[in-house]
Amino acid sequence: MIICKHLELGYASGSLTPAFNLEIDDNQWIGIIGKNGAGKSTFLKTILGVIPVVKGELTILGQKPGECNKLISYIPQEREINLADKMSGVSLITSSYCGSKYGLPWVSKKLKARVDELIDLVGANSYAHQPFITLSGGQKKRIYLAQALINQPQLLLLDEPLADLDPHAKQHFIEALQKIHQHQRLGLMIISHDMHEIASHLDAFIHFSGNGVHYCPTIECVKEDTYVGI
Amino acid sequence: MWAYSFMQNALFGGIIVATVCGIVSVFVILRRMGFAAHALGHMSLTGASAAALLGMSSILGQLVLNGLAAIVMGLMGDKVKKNDLAIGVVLTFVLGLGAYFLFLFQNNYAGSVMSILFGNIFAVSNTQIWQLLGLASVILLIMLVISRPLIFASIDPVVAESKNVSVKLLSVVFFLVLAITVSMACQVVGALLVFVLLIIPGAIGIQWGESIYRIVAISVGVANAALILALYVSYHFDLPASFCITMLLCCGYFIGVIKALIKRG
Repeated sequence: MIICKHLELGYASGSLTPAFNLEIDDNQWIGIIGKNGAGKSTFLKTILGVIPVVKGELTILGQKPGECNKLISYIPQEREINLADKMSGVSLITSSYCGSKYGLPWVSKKLKARVDELIDLVGANSYAHQPFITLSGGQKKRIYLAQALINQPQLLLLDEPLADLDPHAKQHFIEALQKIHQHQRLGLMIISHDMHEIASHLDAFIHFSGNGVHYCPTIECVKEDTYVGI
Repeated sequence: MWAYSFMQNALFGGIIVATVCGIVSVFVILRRMGFAAHALGHMSLTGASAAALLGMSSILGQLVLNGLAAIVMGLMGDKVKKNDLAIGVVLTFVLGLGAYFLFLFQNNYAGSVMSILFGNIFAVSNTQIWQLLGLASVILLIMLVISRPLIFASIDPVVAESKNVSVKLLSVVFFLVLAITVSMACQVVGALLVFVLLIIPGAIGIQWGESIYRIVAISVGVANAALILALYVSYHFDLPASFCITMLLCCGYFIGVIKALIKRG
């Protein structure tokens, strides 16, 4: 799914990480752990091609960064949603369907059925048709999850989806992720400072530390870092 | 009253402008470009005065100047809606130029300043109708082509960019659409009141509509209804048409505000 060869992440002003090598298999669910500013979000943005590779090689789903974004869905940590007051989560989901294609958007019966299926999958049936601005943070996050799945991605990138959620909302979000894991074949990379709450559902971890970027098959190997919260 | 050719021209010209403004205003609001729309309206004055200096038609001057300003603002991308200061500086610079052009041409031009500032829908000529129709066709064609990525990038710009939607290109194209719309609307309501047609129909659409198509339909319907009613009131009560359009649209918006207040209890 992802191959990094002597990859350095960062900006034009300098590298955030030393060169590292990684190989992640298809459909793996990966947790990304590390302190703030270690390069976790930069890694996801580099995978999307939004930030260029500083040095080395990065291959995603057999292609260069930015070339296969139709197969990748991204839930950013911070985003600006400009929905009108009465527009619902369903409007957000449908507006994202094939959003890069030109022409008039149209909600076909097939698309409507797909949206209903996803709303059901993430457990948002009771509020998906309500005005989006009236939803709680946790409800909005589950709508984002349905939105991310509408284009049938092969890879899902989640940047701090559990941040700002109360324990109850976190639990619901993790349950939604579990259901996705059971019903959909796709890879997932999740950044979280609450990794202990989700670790049991993940296949492996990538640890961003002062010594570099490492692949860890279990959470045990990153336990020495107190910020992991285990 | 519709038997008079000047009333027919006012009606046809007004409907073309109201329809285009009804569509564009929804995106102006979704993309939070109110100040940019306001600034482009004011810049039209400079475009018209520069055109007068060069002996060209005012709409041509407005199109050229607004187009250039739109490209500059569009290239600033998503910063535009957060960077009021930059728009303010461009606006001040262009308005300063406008004041100088008026000073150079004051003897011949100042008399028509009022019609540029406040518009004169009853002076729309047959030639202008064809110009408006041509420009409206260009706008509708562009909107048909870019509507899907434009809606996506307007509603959720960060995720749209991650899906390879060219947010910056869309920003430039939509600014150009806005620049053409402003130049068209100036013929009807003038440079000062163009803001009304570019904000209020979309705002009313957002008050009542739940989906993007419904919002656009309400916006276009309201803009046209206000225009036709304004022509009727203006003709029978001898009031300025741009004043009537403004008052009717503002009343429409306040009805939505009152309804929301009643609903909240």
